[in-house]
Order: sequence, then structure tokens, then C-alpha cells
Amino acid sequence: MRHATKVAAVVAAAALGLAACGSSTPETPAASSAAGGTSAATGKKIVVGVAYGVGGRGDQSFNASAAAGLDKAKADLGIEYKEATQVNGESEAATEERLQQFVDAGATHVIGVGFAYAKAIGAVAKANPDVKFAIIDDASADSAGPNVAQLTFAEEQGSFLVGAAAALKSKTNQVGFVGGVATDLIKKFEAGYIAGAKAANPSVTVKSQYLSQPPDFSGFNDPAKGKTAAEGLYQGGADVVYHAAGGSGSGVFTAAKAAGALAIGVDSDQALTATPDVRDVILTSMIKKVDVAVYDFLKSGSEGKDITGNKVYDLKAGGVDYATTGGKVDDIKTKLDDYKAKIISGEITVPTAP
Amino acid sequence: MSASGLTVGTEVVPENTPMRKRGLGLTRLQWVYVLLAGIFVVSVLRVVTGANDIDSSGLLIAAFGLAVPIALAGLGGLWSERAGVVNIGLEGMMILGTWGAGFLGYHMGPWWGLVGAVVGGVVGGFVHAVATVTFGVDHIVSGVALNIVALGFAKYLSVRFFSPLPGGGPTQSPPLPELPTVTIPGLSDALGTLEQKHIFFVSDLAGVLRAFCTNVSVVTILAVLLFVLTWWLLWRTAFGLRLRSVGESPVAAESLGVNVLRYKFVAVLISGGLAGLGGGFLALVAANVFRDGQTGGRGYIGLAAMIFGNWRPGGLLAGSALFGYTDAAQLRGGGTTVHAFLLLLAVLLIAIGVWQIVRKGRKVQGILAIVVGALVGTWYALTDIVPPELSGTTPYVTTLLVLAFASQRLRMPAADGQVYRKGEGH
Repeated sequence: MRHATKVAAVVAAAALGLAACGSSTPETPAASSAAGGTSAATGKKIVVGVAYGVGGRGDQSFNASAAAGLDKAKADLGIEYKEATQVNGESEAATEERLQQFVDAGATHVIGVGFAYAKAIGAVAKANPDVKFAIIDDASADSAGPNVAQLTFAEEQGSFLVGAAAALKSKTNQVGFVGGVATDLIKKFEAGYIAGAKAANPSVTVKSQYLSQPPDFSGFNDPAKGKTAAEGLYQGGADVVYHAAGGSGSGVFTAAKAAGALAIGVDSDQALTATPDVRDVILTSMIKKVDVAVYDFLKSGSEGKDITGNKVYDLKAGGVDYATTGGKVDDIKTKLDDYKAKIISGEITVPTAP
Repeated sequence: MSASGLTVGTEVVPENTPMRKRGLGLTRLQWVYVLLAGIFVVSVLRVVTGANDIDSSGLLIAAFGLAVPIALAGLGGLWSERAGVVNIGLEGMMILGTWGAGFLGYHMGPWWGLVGAVVGGVVGGFVHAVATVTFGVDHIVSGVALNIVALGFAKYLSVRFFSPLPGGGPTQSPPLPELPTVTIPGLSDALGTLEQKHIFFVSDLAGVLRAFCTNVSVVTILAVLLFVLTWWLLWRTAFGLRLRSVGESPVAAESLGVNVLRYKFVAVLISGGLAGLGGGFLALVAANVFRDGQTGGRGYIGLAAMIFGNWRPGGLLAGSALFGYTDAAQLRGGGTTVHAFLLLLAVLLIAIGVWQIVRKGRKVQGILAIVVGALVGTWYALTDIVPPELSGTTPYVTTLLVLAFASQRLRMPAADGQVYRKGEGH
């Protein structure tokens, strides 16, 4: 019996150890340690800690885009980096601890990918005034500080363009929107989308559906619910559905394929990143260039001119755009570019709340 | 639902309350009438409120899709708890099932994916069984630990095995091949045409029937068979009698020569396999991909559905169906369909109130129900849509309401949750 108890203790400890590996310990990719030295001649040595949101590096969307910027910075600027990923439903203390671990490991720059890091960035930045921080998708007072860059995007402007594309392509005069979680950020997407659709065709009907309500963030990670919601929209008469639902978006594409209708991707050019068999239903994607923001932040840092305060990446700055992969929007491209020019010139102001 | 087989009172284990007729004591034919009456009420509701999605075949198909994982998790819970082991670790077993489905499904095909799901769940069940049955750890502590460990373990395995694959990543598998679905060709189309005409009652009936013969996943059929099999095994065989006796009175069972620990162990393993299969449905049928965190608490909902169903397969099925239906309704129709439910709720509450006063003489409860019913009715009349913040809670509110009215009749296995040590009774 005593022997058996020991075995059980060892098994339990090993299991907990594995659990810890999988969740919060920063993982150092083998490649980054090998990339010693600075290749950029003028560069100052930068060590970056990147904390991803729940989806992680491989989400083929928002976090993947941040990772792409990071990889580019590594290739061009010769930075070193460490990465970690947030766990759904973790405590604020665990989030802060992750960022602090980067600092303790010698990071000069720390990036929090996603608004879920807002409070943690604010707190850790205050405690470490010599380290530069960046947060993506948050411009609130929670994360503000003299050593914090708040990198946000004008998602409503990009969504306006895909909304116009949806309305122009709709034959049933009805389009839909699936939001992952009903946060202010996702409502920005919805607001821009509705405005764009109505601008292109005032008589179009737009139906919106959210998958979960905060603080339940499961809506970004549940393809089954994304599929159910999109099926409802398609069977209700919509023939184009735009999703801002992160990992649940694959369910929206599956539903579009089954219904023989169209869908619009988000964050990255999903006609390139989604599962091959659903790529032909993707009309366009609202591209949010998180990679540009991440790269900018690190490049400025390596030049010793760190970005601080809120920087908005809008249409004008090339932070958001619509995708043309697949050629489905080629025939309406002039109209979309016309809207783009009007937004940039300020002739059209896009609302940020529905 | 198909609780018809449960109507005969053949409970062998002595009840501590006087024997009541099971399943409301209706015959098969009467159940058909009840079902038709239900469809009639819903068609009235559809015509009155104009919420056409309320009984569309699309909604019902989606409801099946959402109900099956919950039902399978709940069936897992039923096996374990009938043998006296509380299984709050269902969520963790489901998570292991989703990963197993993703891994084997990608490398060896969808059918092997199902095997992988079951194996993943059984591994979780094995951990829980070793902890609770062999070492006598508190069931809740072990279950909660399993949920946390499984989450981390699945994450570790995906980083390790899915990251290098094309289309995969640390939080998701590459796309998985699909399992076949069954559609009865002519019938499905004919019923679909009839449904689109929106004729009172006829179209509603067509919609319901169409849902049963259109795009039914083979796993759904498998799940139904597993329910029947479970009922037969647990309530019609000596093996089942012994397994249930272990959950009711392990001391008595052991004194009659039943190997209590072995029965409990086997029950928890089967429990894990079923929960894992529920996870496999999520990954292979509902989504065609493994995603980290895609179970989203369905294991807990399954456990709740099992309690809702009074630790019996028929009731559990009804609980899962109710949850799946209301969840699908709010996900598809948003506030509009849920708004239609308000009217139904108002009418039901007032009817219950009147019944309480007239037949039972319970004035306080009756008046309370009527007042709440009137308030809900007013809410319905004054608004056009239920705010999205509230419509998302529909499945939970519905489950709570039904539980509140039915909870007096629930009875769990007598020795459920108690740690049993071999030879305790001697």
C-alpha cells in the first residue's frame, strides 16, 4: 500500500508538471537562442517577451499575425524573443506573473497580445519603469503609462469595407455578422460592418449574432457554436456572413460551404490561412495588420526611439485593409477603393459602436 | 423523447420511498399524443409570435448537434454515479477525448478518430478510477484535479504533436476528415418543401420529421444506440443489477459476493469512454477540428443533465435535448426566438398557478406563479426582442426552471459519492 501511494504521488506530480509546461511557462524556441548577435548595424540589443492571447501562436488569425511580425523582426533586426500563451479563465495574478517572468528573464521589451492583458501590462509596467511595454487592442487607462505603447486598430474602417463588399455581393439583400464575444472591441467590427453594408445598399438587412457574453470568452474558441449561429443566419435568408469570432470562425466557413453561400474572414487573409476545402467560400477578409504594429514597435525600439502612448493603425496608416485573394471582389474593387479613399480623406466617418 | 421504454416500473432495488410509476406512467400511444400535442402548442406559438425558426428543421438539426455531446457526457456520468462514484471529471475526460479524436482522426481517418476519442476518455476515467476507487480519494477533489490536469495535458500534447503539422498549431489540430451523415433522399426533400409552405401544424410536423431524416451524423445514431444499450445493460441484466447495487449499498452488495471495487472501476472506465466519445463528436462532427478549450464546460452541463434526468437514461436524454434546443434557438434566432419563448413561459406559469390553487390548494405558490407569469407576459407584450446579454442565458434559465419544479422528485443512488473500502462491512 505504501509503495502504491508513492507511485501515485509520482504520477500526480508528473501530471501536474506536464500541465504546467502546457500552460504558462514561457517557452523559448530553440531557434531564438541560436540567433545571437545583432544583425542590424545601428541596432540596440533587444530581448522581447511576447505574451499571446488565448488562441496562441497557431490560431491562424490574430495571434498568428502578431507572431508573423515577431518573426520578421527577428529576421530583420536580429532580436531575441521568448513566448507564452494565456489560459482561458486564468486569474489576473497569473497574467501579471507571466509578464513579470519575461522581465526577470532579462526582457527589454514586453508585448501583450490582446486586450485581456490591459490591467496586467499597466501594473507590471509601473513596477518596471526601465522596460518598454506594448499592448495590442487596448487604449484604456488600465494599461496607460510612460513606458507603454498602446497599439490599436481602426477595425471599424476595415469592417466598413467588407460590409460594403457583402452588401454589393448579396443577392438576397440580407447579410449577417457573427461576433465571438460581445465586447466593445468586437462591437466595433459590427458597427463598421453595418455602416458599410448600409452605405453600399441602404435597403440591406444586417443580422448580428454573438456566441458568448463576457466574461465568458468561450465564444472565440467554439467552432460548433460558430457553425450553429452561421447556419441560423444562412437559413434565415442571409447569403454573406462576416465573422469576428477568432477560432470559432472555422465553423462559420463550414456552414457557408454547406449552405453554398459566402463568408468573410477576419484579422488575417483567411482565404490563405483557412482549411483548404473552405477557402473558395471566403469572399474577402478584413485584414488587421497586427504584424505591422508589432514590427513597428520593435523596429522603433531597436533604433532607440520607442513608441509610447496610443498609436492607432487605421486605413491611412495601412493598419487595416480588405483582402483580394481569390478574385471574388475584383468586379467591385473600384467601388471599395472609392470608399477607402473617402474614409481616409475623412469624408466618411465610421461609427465605432452599433 | 423516447422514454417510452421506461414506463414500466421494474426498479429492482428497494426504494426508500413508496414505489411510484416511472416516466409519468404513460403508455407508448399516450406518449405519441403528448408529442403531437407539444408540436401543436409550438405551432400555435409560431403562428402567434411569427418566430418561424422556432420549430424549423434547421433549428432541430442544430439542436441535435448541440445535445449529443452533452448527452454522451451525461451518459458517462450516469454509469459512474450509478456505481456510486461522483464524476465531476467528465469535462477533463471530454477534453482528452477531443484531443484523441484530433490525433487519431488526422493520422488514421475519422473512424479511428472515434476510437481515439474513446481511448482518451478511458485514460481520464482510469486516472479518476485509480484515485477514487483504489486509493479512496474524495471524488470531487479527484474530479476537479482531473479537469485541470487534462486541460494542461491536452495543451502540452497539441504543442508537441500538432504544431509541426500543416494547418495545425499549438492550440488546434489540422482539419479533420468528416464522418458520413445519413439523409433519406426523397423523404427529406418532400418534407422540406412541405415545411417551407408554413401551413399550420402540418408544416411544423414536417419540420420535426425532416430533422430526423436529414444530415443525421452516424455518431448521433451511435449515441442513441448507446442510450438503449445502457438502459438494457443497467436495468435488464444481472451485470447491471450488481453495478447499481454497488452504488446503492456497497456493503450489502459485497456481503452477497459482488466484487464492489471491480464494478466501480469498470463503471468509471466506461464513464470515461462515453465522455470521451462526446468530446470526439465535438471535434469530428460539430467542428472538423480539435481546438484547445472547445469543450467549453459541456462536461459540467452533461452532469447537470444527468441530475435533471434523475439518474435515468430517458430523463437524461430529455434534459440534454431541452438544453440543446434552447441553446440552438438562442444561437440561431438570437433575441427573436427567445422572445417567443417568453409568451410560452407566461402561459405555462399562469396555467401552473391556476392548477396549484384549484387542484392542490397551494394559494401562495399559485399566486406567485400567476404574478410572475403576468410579469413575463407584460415583458413579452412590451418588447420585440430579448436583449442579447440575456438571450444567451436561455438554456441555463430553462434548465433551472424545470429543475426547480422537478427537484422534489429526484433521488440519487444512495451511496453516491461515498468512498468505499474493501471489506468495510465486516
